[in-house]
Amino acid sequence: MVAKNNRWARGRGMAASWYGIARTATIDRAGAWAELDDGGTAKIVTGVTEIGEGILTVLAQVAAEELGVRPDDVTIGDNDTARSPEAAHAGATRQTYMIGNSVALACRNAREKLDAELADYWQVDIGLIEAFNGEIWARGTNKRLTMQEAVDLCKKRGVVPVGSGSFTAHGTGLDPVDGTGAPWQAYVFGCQVAEVEVDTVTGEVQVLGVWAVHDVGRAINPRGVEGQIEGGIVQGLGQALMEDYETVDGHTTTHGFAKYILPTSLDIPQINCRLVEDRDPRSPLGAKGIGEPALVPTAPAIMNAIYDAIGVRITSLPATPEKVLAGLAEKRAAAMAAE
Amino acid sequence: MPDQKITLTVNGRKVSRPLNGAPRLLDFLRDELNLTGTKEGCGAGECGTCSVFVDGKLVKSCLMPTLKADGAEIQTIEGLSPVGSDLTPVQKAFHKTGASQCGYCIPGMVMAATSALRENPDADIEEIKERLGGNICRCTGYTKIFEAVEIARDVIAGRLPPVTLEADETSDSFIGANVRRIDAPSKVAGKLKYAGDMVMPDMLHMQVLRSPHAHAKILSIDTSQAEALEGVECVITSADVPGKDGFGVFVHDQPIMAREKVRYVGEAVAAVAAETAQIARRALALIKVEYEELPGIFDAEEAMQPGAPVVHDYAPDNLVKHIPVRKGDVDAGFAEADLIVENTYSTQQVEHAYLEPEAGLAYVDHDGVVTVVSPSQNITHHRHMLSEIIAKPINKVRFIMSAVGGGFGGKEDMIYQGMLALAAMKTERPVRLVFTREESIIASAKRHPARITYKMGLKNDGRITAASLHMISDGGAYGMSTEGVMRKAAILSLGPYDIANSQVDTYGVYTNNTPSGAFRTFGGMQVQFATESHLDICAEKLGLDPFEIRRRNMMRAGSTTHTQQKLETCSIEEVLRVAEEFCRWERGAPTSRGAERRDLNGPDVRQSCTLGARFRMPGDEADEKQEVA
Repeated sequence: MVAKNNRWARGRGMAASWYGIARTATIDRAGAWAELDDGGTAKIVTGVTEIGEGILTVLAQVAAEELGVRPDDVTIGDNDTARSPEAAHAGATRQTYMIGNSVALACRNAREKLDAELADYWQVDIGLIEAFNGEIWARGTNKRLTMQEAVDLCKKRGVVPVGSGSFTAHGTGLDPVDGTGAPWQAYVFGCQVAEVEVDTVTGEVQVLGVWAVHDVGRAINPRGVEGQIEGGIVQGLGQALMEDYETVDGHTTTHGFAKYILPTSLDIPQINCRLVEDRDPRSPLGAKGIGEPALVPTAPAIMNAIYDAIGVRITSLPATPEKVLAGLAEKRAAAMAAE
Repeated sequence: MPDQKITLTVNGRKVSRPLNGAPRLLDFLRDELNLTGTKEGCGAGECGTCSVFVDGKLVKSCLMPTLKADGAEIQTIEGLSPVGSDLTPVQKAFHKTGASQCGYCIPGMVMAATSALRENPDADIEEIKERLGGNICRCTGYTKIFEAVEIARDVIAGRLPPVTLEADETSDSFIGANVRRIDAPSKVAGKLKYAGDMVMPDMLHMQVLRSPHAHAKILSIDTSQAEALEGVECVITSADVPGKDGFGVFVHDQPIMAREKVRYVGEAVAAVAAETAQIARRALALIKVEYEELPGIFDAEEAMQPGAPVVHDYAPDNLVKHIPVRKGDVDAGFAEADLIVENTYSTQQVEHAYLEPEAGLAYVDHDGVVTVVSPSQNITHHRHMLSEIIAKPINKVRFIMSAVGGGFGGKEDMIYQGMLALAAMKTERPVRLVFTREESIIASAKRHPARITYKMGLKNDGRITAASLHMISDGGAYGMSTEGVMRKAAILSLGPYDIANSQVDTYGVYTNNTPSGAFRTFGGMQVQFATESHLDICAEKLGLDPFEIRRRNMMRAGSTTHTQQKLETCSIEEVLRVAEEFCRWERGAPTSRGAERRDLNGPDVRQSCTLGARFRMPGDEADEKQEVA
């Protein structure tokens, strides 16, 4: 809405979205190894991890929870085709889902070996054994050891508590003629609302607030999830308003950051996040993912907000000041013609 | 010019060195002193990853000649928390809030934040933002960085207790807990080594000769003069590939270096491995390539026309992939509609702009295993492809994924690892390649641009009776991830809505533009930008609230998707409910939600940006704006 004689107009827009988790229209797989190690520490080995999203920490949390140790006790050896099991690639919003679940399965496998030795040693039912935060005990008894003692005991009985895990996501290919198929076993949904201020003199758009609501299945590390959402929104904002890789006859004219404009600290809206946790029924952890879905609704929410603010519909990204001004001029011309 | 000697203080220690040439301060710190916490992101003073203190002032070390720093006192990220001392409050706050993701921009960002609080210990959020304005972060969205600087400021000033910076108490589960990132201490201290920070004894430096033409035949390549240059160990071209040349995420259509013709500006044509990067660069100028220019094709729709120049012989129609998705009967659905809305949408090519440019280090180990260390997002697939390209068994090819300084899909393509492997095999010495920013921008894949034609039929109550979406995407010169991007775009195209009748076609097309490839959302954002814009246009025409039109069409558990998969669970109803309430949404059709708006300018938005926060005087009104009459 534009108040009379007001240079700056504010508006709001929303957009919803959906996304599939892990590789598309194919079976996806990932493997991991786990070992409860001396001192009550743990080793996890898997084929692909961190590209910045925080998966190392998520895996340490998953391993700690499953093994009964602390995240700080977990060492993750990874990312080497000659030294670690295959876990495929870092992308497709598959890390928490694929690697996280394969690590959980590997840890459960290692724990089975440790728990079997302890159950025999303590002469209790294996189902009574629980572990958390560096301690292991038999529920309803006074049997309790530190994890360091438990691993030592297990090894003295001749068993190294190691395990492996492989997790599968069952997607199917698409029919080549009509596209029917079940490309993913887990879907996430999201919705973002943007509030913008448009400078009707310069055409500049500022995004002042974004409210982001995303289903992530189960948030292993809520702060990490927020970080993914904030980063996704700002990449979406960049594409919505300023980023444009341009070429002329195949030669780029945007060959550096002086020409290719990226969002900086002054472009950042206040980002308000809420998570919805609709757990995945098909996996041990119930978590789904957030990396890619976070940026899907951002650009349309901003375009819908610009329309709400000034009545100009931008259908060609990015909504540069030039396009906004052209839209306003067109609107004024149409209004004058109608008079 | 005779070599000069320079003496300066770095992190409190006196350093004296002869200077060869005129290195930048950044090179001196990294190459001479091995202080690799200071990163190079752009080499042009635009990204801030190389920020250091020179005599107490924040400086971008890529812009400063080392000679100019003669006699100066330098502090780098390593000097903030020297050996034996704790992390600073700023570093701890970055750890606590999750302000580092890939970590590549973080040393520079920590320096800028430290500078901000040294210059003004009471800086408010607007001033902090302004003082960080010269530092680009591509991962975090800056939000957790702002939070970290504010917490550090308050801890330093004693307004918050130091324990604020420590880990949260352990509750009864580590799942759902805000465990601090285990990799953050190494990132905030500049200790984490990325591929471009790694050195090996006897290591060679690679530089790449790239095509100046978008489409040209290679008539000949003469490398003899380059090979004769002192310090050059090898020059490689496609002739050095021993196996089946070709890589790509879906179709293996891209040679390690251009073979017979070049298809885009910036495509690798030859590479030199030499004792120094400078010698390798000089050698590039001595390679003689004879080209015969061919007509290029630069528009995806034109590329689909008969008679258009052909980019790849195997695809005479320039089509990489067409994905059709059909459901119900669209003609009947449109016939049933009260309203039909048509529109077109377009999106642009987007650069990933990870702050870490591509880099890698290859060597042949003692057992003859060809090893490539690089920030690859897909070491598994790269290993498979390289084993065929260099004709070795899979267990004689090893990929190690180094710390990735941002990827977003852009590091899924094996665009340089093959050259490194070939040079390491040819010289039996380690070889390192570090891209410049300009090289990264011209050689790496971009987000697919899209042109989308949309048609939607609706009943007056807002129910969608039919939808059709037609998308053409410029895949550029090589296939890379185009097939998968077209597939994901087609599947997700029409959004989380239960639509009985639909027709979707997505086309990825070869041109002589910079290739398009994998980029966070893999086609999902382009199509849903169109869908979500289109729905608002329809909502306005029908006088419906934007949330309401979506609710009337949303999928539910048991709905069938556009590819006719039955959904077991579906959370969109809950997501919409939470979002509407959370943002205090004011109901109404778009642009007609009343003159008296209560939803805008609430407590959960930032103030609009006005430059000059650094120069504000106490008592100034921060949010004041001059009205223009």
